[in-house]
Amino acid sequence: MPKRKIHRERPKEKFSYDPKRVLKMLDEHARKILEDIKAGKNPHFDIPMRGLSNVYFDEKSRLIRMGDKLSRRYFLNVAHTRKFMQTLLIMAYVKRLVSEGKHASLREAYYANKHTIPGTRENTFEDQRESDPIIEDLERMFGVLREEMHITADRRGYIYGDIVIRDGEDEFNASKLGSGGWAVPGTVEHIQFPEINVDYALVVETAAMADRLIEEKFPKKENALIIATQGQASRGVRRLIHRLHYEEGLPIIVFTDGDPYGWYIYSTIKQGSINLAYLSDKLATPESKFVGMTMDDIKKYGLENVTEKLKGIPPNKKGGPTGDYKRILEEMEYPWFQNKEWQRQLKLALKWGVRIEQQALANKSLEFVAKEYLPEKINNGDLLP
Amino acid sequence: MAEANQLFKEFKIQSVSEFFRRNAAMLGYTGKVRSLTTLVHEAVTNSLDACEEAGIPPYVRVEIEELGNEHYKVVVEDNGPGIPEKYITHVFGKMLAGTKAHRNIQSRGQQGIGISGAVMFAQITSGKATRVITSTGDDEIIEAWVKIDVDKNEGKIVKKEKHPNPKGWRGTRIELEVKNVKYMRSKQGVFWYLKLTAIANPHAHIELIEPDGKLIVFPRSSDEVPEPPVEMKPHPKGVLTDDVYRLAKKTRRNTVRRFLIGEFSRISDKKVDELVEYIAALRLIKTVQDKKLQEQYYQKLMEGHVKAVLRAFRGYTKVVKQVAKIMEKPPEKLTWHEAEEIVEAFKYMKFLAPPTHGLRPIGEENIEKGLGGILKPEFVTAVTRPPKVYSGGIPFQVEVGIAYGGEIPAGFDLYRYANRVPLLFDAGSCVTTQAARSIDWKRYKIDDLDRAPLVLMINVVSVHVPYTGTGKQSIASVDEIYNEIRLAIMDAARRLQTYLSGKHRRLAQVKRKKTFEKYVPEIAKALSVLTGEPEEKIKEYFIRFIESRFASPEVEEVAAEEVAEYA
Repeated sequence: MPKRKIHRERPKEKFSYDPKRVLKMLDEHARKILEDIKAGKNPHFDIPMRGLSNVYFDEKSRLIRMGDKLSRRYFLNVAHTRKFMQTLLIMAYVKRLVSEGKHASLREAYYANKHTIPGTRENTFEDQRESDPIIEDLERMFGVLREEMHITADRRGYIYGDIVIRDGEDEFNASKLGSGGWAVPGTVEHIQFPEINVDYALVVETAAMADRLIEEKFPKKENALIIATQGQASRGVRRLIHRLHYEEGLPIIVFTDGDPYGWYIYSTIKQGSINLAYLSDKLATPESKFVGMTMDDIKKYGLENVTEKLKGIPPNKKGGPTGDYKRILEEMEYPWFQNKEWQRQLKLALKWGVRIEQQALANKSLEFVAKEYLPEKINNGDLLP
Repeated sequence: MAEANQLFKEFKIQSVSEFFRRNAAMLGYTGKVRSLTTLVHEAVTNSLDACEEAGIPPYVRVEIEELGNEHYKVVVEDNGPGIPEKYITHVFGKMLAGTKAHRNIQSRGQQGIGISGAVMFAQITSGKATRVITSTGDDEIIEAWVKIDVDKNEGKIVKKEKHPNPKGWRGTRIELEVKNVKYMRSKQGVFWYLKLTAIANPHAHIELIEPDGKLIVFPRSSDEVPEPPVEMKPHPKGVLTDDVYRLAKKTRRNTVRRFLIGEFSRISDKKVDELVEYIAALRLIKTVQDKKLQEQYYQKLMEGHVKAVLRAFRGYTKVVKQVAKIMEKPPEKLTWHEAEEIVEAFKYMKFLAPPTHGLRPIGEENIEKGLGGILKPEFVTAVTRPPKVYSGGIPFQVEVGIAYGGEIPAGFDLYRYANRVPLLFDAGSCVTTQAARSIDWKRYKIDDLDRAPLVLMINVVSVHVPYTGTGKQSIASVDEIYNEIRLAIMDAARRLQTYLSGKHRRLAQVKRKKTFEKYVPEIAKALSVLTGEPEEKIKEYFIRFIESRFASPEVEEVAAEEVAEYA
């Protein structure tokens, strides 16, 4: 077994959460509205525009970033006035949450602010689909995470490994919580890591694979932290990965299925997403690397029998490309996949018309992934950028 | 083959009255509802005309009393000048007699058969004489029962009484008893007829007592009694050979030249000289054998080059002199052929447009008063177009009124008039209907014409309205009239559009203001939480701001590109 090349580095940024910053933002924006109305000006919010048209890939930082296009939301505009009112309502709600140290979910935030406007039959919010975008607007406007505003995201994903976590008054080791590990909460802003005894973090797409690795005692043997995303990484997990990398210096290695969806999960962890482009600075980790599955693995490990066919119609057939094929072609266009290795993988997938799951490695033996596949590839530095 | 004498045994001379007795439909007496309306129309028209000629603001009262099944008594009373005793039989008894029948004048009535036709209709359905009570305001009131002697075409008074007139009452009241008619409140009935009459005659006070005793009043909304129409001489472009021939026999002038100058409009001494040249030219052209060449001469004549045409013929002066002689002979010696030549020449000549002083439009102001007073709309406008000419020489004029909203129920209504007389029948074939339907109403903010609370009134004024039939209920589709109606409607509709868009804008403004105000309490509460300022204060700031922005006539809306909101 070759000498391990990957280990923990020096931290790059400091833990940044400060509740006062949110309160200051709220105060500034609310004061400005009040000043405007007193001066007889039509008050407005300037909200960075969302959507593809205001998103670009920053080559230097290798992040999907938000452009500087703003949309103005006026009080005295029939099309805006309702949203203007809703924005202020949520702002007042956030102020209460943060100053009282309470957290609320998106759904709670919706119900807490929904009521009938006196003298009308209209509700302040008719639907959660009205309140969620307002919260995103505030994130973009203030440049803070909704977690920092004490509005929590869905919780999904868990971690397992020899690190000590401080969550409020509790302090515990994430390798001593049983085989289930520690579930990542909706907001990880307040989490601290007093002690870290791992060399790197392995982000695993499926829970089944993470469970396999834990059972094979991979974290202990390889001195690794397992982070299970359970599909597309939730904001909490992405934020956790970001923090572990930048604040704790942990290298990030991503392990997904060898298919367009798995590669997209990787891409989101690495560069951020179009939807949350305004949060890339806090959620993305461009230095993360990809261990598998790759198309090369099929040949290298003799997995031809356990591949699956790609879904959809290939581009050279009538009606194509659709499904997986279309997705692969789209990914080939992404700026961050513009390198030889990735283009080769994507082309091979198109050519062969196959995908390969992480669990396919069990075809060799149950221990294969933990004892041979991962240690070999990681320690040899056989990783994709 | 039968002997001619045998055949002619049955031959009889039919009197005018006899003819109309057999052809009552020609006078409008068809159908039970329509017959009653026609009857009322004749009496009311007479009253209005009489009042106007005397300069009296009309007061007309119509009473319909049901005597039995399809058996009614119709009473029409007015405050007009009254009828002198010796004219009573003429007015009510003789067909084709009257003050207007033979004159070129704008009129409401049926050229003298109107009221006598009504008397006749009453007589042939009920057998009863028409009761007439009238006074010219002197010391006696005459009460007479009038019948028509159909064979002789003469009125006769079957009974007459004289009463003292201590209060100096003046006016005429006639009572007709009719059968075979029906009173209904339909759009062809008396009620509707009087309503439309009241609209077109805002200077008249009209009352109706229906068979069930209900009194309906269409009050006067204008104090101005219109000037009675004046007679107009025929225009050369509008006459037929027969007109010239007949008038020539009747005239008192002593030469054809004087006759033409005196009896027609727009003909001067110089025009007669020109006429001579044209007639001469036409005579000469007719001698040309070559059809193509002839055609060219006609063309040149049409372009007015009469002298050039004459010069093309050798010895043309002789012909001119011959023609000139016609002008100097007595008019009664004018032959049919010569009259024909004159009328043909008129077609090639140019004349000033006919005078229009004889036309008596209702006038924009009065239409607005009429529509406003009777219909109580929220918006009313009227357009009276300047006089125009159709078929070369017949002057006419179009007026249009639009009433919208208010007490007008939803659904488009067209009120048609010819010389102020409502037309209640044959709407489909009328040029007014065609013109109204040809308008693209959507352009004028009327999205669904058939559901709009809209009344369109059209009055065609002319000394000779081109009706489509003897019923005189529908105006023929003459291009010039059609176009004038369209222009008038569009003009009025533009004003309606302006009104409607202003109204929509104002409504929208109120709605917008309410939208903003609705959110103020919520905004104030939230801002109070955020800034710590008292809620009431913040509310005041916002309300004051909204008020100030809506005080200015047009609220500035934020420019579109600035406000581009994502979906």
